[in-house]
Amino acid sequence: MEGLKPMFNKLRIGKKGENIIFGTFVLLYIGWCVNSPDMNIESLKSVLTIGLSVGIIYGLVALGISLIYTGLDVVNFSHGEFFMIGAFAGLTMFNLLGNQDWIFNIFPDAYGWIIYVVCLFTAFVSMGLFGVFIERVFLRPLTKKGGGYTVAGMGIIICGFGLSVVLINVAYLIWNPVAKPFPAELGLPMEIGGLFLPITYIWMIVVGLSVAAGLWFFLNKTKMGLGIRAVAYSKDVSNLVGINVPLYISIIFGIACAIAGIGGTLVGPTYQVVVFMGYIILMKAFAAAVVGGFGNLPGAIVGGFTVGIFETASSFYISGSHKDLYAFLLMIVVLMIKPTGFFGVQVKMKA
Amino acid sequence: MLKINQLISGYGSVQILNGANMRVEKQSIVALLGGNGTGKSTILRAASGLIRSWKGTIEFDGEQIQNLPAHEIVGRGLVQVTQGKDVFPAMSVTENLKLGGFILKSKQQLSDNLEKVYNYFPRLNERKDQLAATLSGGELQMLCIGRGLMSNPKMIMLDEPSAALAPQIVLDIFKNINRIRQDGLTVLVVEQNVRMALLLADYGYVIKDGVINVEGDSKKLMYDESVKESYLGGTKANV
Repeated sequence: MEGLKPMFNKLRIGKKGENIIFGTFVLLYIGWCVNSPDMNIESLKSVLTIGLSVGIIYGLVALGISLIYTGLDVVNFSHGEFFMIGAFAGLTMFNLLGNQDWIFNIFPDAYGWIIYVVCLFTAFVSMGLFGVFIERVFLRPLTKKGGGYTVAGMGIIICGFGLSVVLINVAYLIWNPVAKPFPAELGLPMEIGGLFLPITYIWMIVVGLSVAAGLWFFLNKTKMGLGIRAVAYSKDVSNLVGINVPLYISIIFGIACAIAGIGGTLVGPTYQVVVFMGYIILMKAFAAAVVGGFGNLPGAIVGGFTVGIFETASSFYISGSHKDLYAFLLMIVVLMIKPTGFFGVQVKMKA
Repeated sequence: MLKINQLISGYGSVQILNGANMRVEKQSIVALLGGNGTGKSTILRAASGLIRSWKGTIEFDGEQIQNLPAHEIVGRGLVQVTQGKDVFPAMSVTENLKLGGFILKSKQQLSDNLEKVYNYFPRLNERKDQLAATLSGGELQMLCIGRGLMSNPKMIMLDEPSAALAPQIVLDIFKNINRIRQDGLTVLVVEQNVRMALLLADYGYVIKDGVINVEGDSKKLMYDESVKESYLGGTKANV
């Protein structure tokens, strides 16, 4: 075995080599797309818009996964279900408000928008509270043996899988498995650069980016955000400066789930709301998080955009029948060539 | 100020402290000495609430504080300063210090305390916008002590402030610890550097196998044969 070591050492390509190989792949891919018979400026525009709007959804879910990973050192495999239940929470609010004439009488012009914003807000708040509830009731007891989340990690990951199944089936009982439309009235399609786009795409991108920017502001400019960053780095030192660490862990989990809930309500009007929508979103968001650099928050959004555009472009220019394949193909290529993702995170050293 | 009575504690199922007794008087500097693995840091961790106390009491300012949540103990004015490397490396020096004052309610108090810490350690003022990861070992230690002072504590507990530092810097830091005491704080220092710690302290405790072995006035302890013995793990060199 010792003889093999020098050989492997020679195979190390370093950061520059990584970038060159990755760049070659990107160029090859772009060349492939350009050669496609469908390639023209019109299709490129729609591919980019759809890619960005799908990408921001992946990005939002990936943001939550990354936030929980940096804060709690575990991967939350039930995150897709918070996305799904968030969509249903938004839809329920929409159905409640949809028949109310008084809202229409007060705001005849912005009726659809106002209801939709209330739905988004409902999804945000209810998923935040639901996330805190799940964390306190199901995950926290697993850390009773001591050592906190870092030590109880594997148990919590398995618990996440279990929670995912339970939550899907609870949703199945409540809302039954039929796909439901989310007919939000947001206005007529918008014309951007000669392209007519459903307004929901614009909403997805705008709201998604504002949520990401809001999270950045919250983490970097507020006192609570400072505390969250401290807890994410070290629970012990945070305890010693007087931060209520158990409370902050709940807050981290709640924020991550609330963002997933917003994501669910955002895709509702474009696609439909189904009980099983969480699973594939979780997997793709996971791919997005890996592509951007696992645990890196801006990386999650960039990774989401990358996966979204790659997926849409590939299914448009290469083959549309394998749409769900491309995200994972990209993840494997990134893991092979740039294992730390675009924004590599340094591995935390823990005692 | 701090009274530790028959404290028994440990990690997981491993018992480290076997009934330790200590007293720290108000406005004094007390040194807690001992070799590796004797339970020095465990006493601090139990006092600051990072680990549970299995038995015994810890009394601070007349009230029992054992097994309170760690952040409440900080709120009562007992702050532990960990060994030098425990800062938040991706944050600037100022941000690190502001985190130290996390429990403070008013902004005015925060900036007053920031001023006070920069007064103790002018070096930190020069480096205030730098990331903590770029500081030297001595500056990191200053940052840790400064962070501990930010929350207006009544007593601070220092865990090996001289670890892995050059003698000149150790002297500088110990001078500052003395200044902190003169400004009205109580200080408990856990040290491996016996001579320096006893020069600084008024009173000393030597811990061995989880119990206090020797205690006494620091001037007396300095020349005590049993201190050396205890410190070297009880084996007398046959020279």
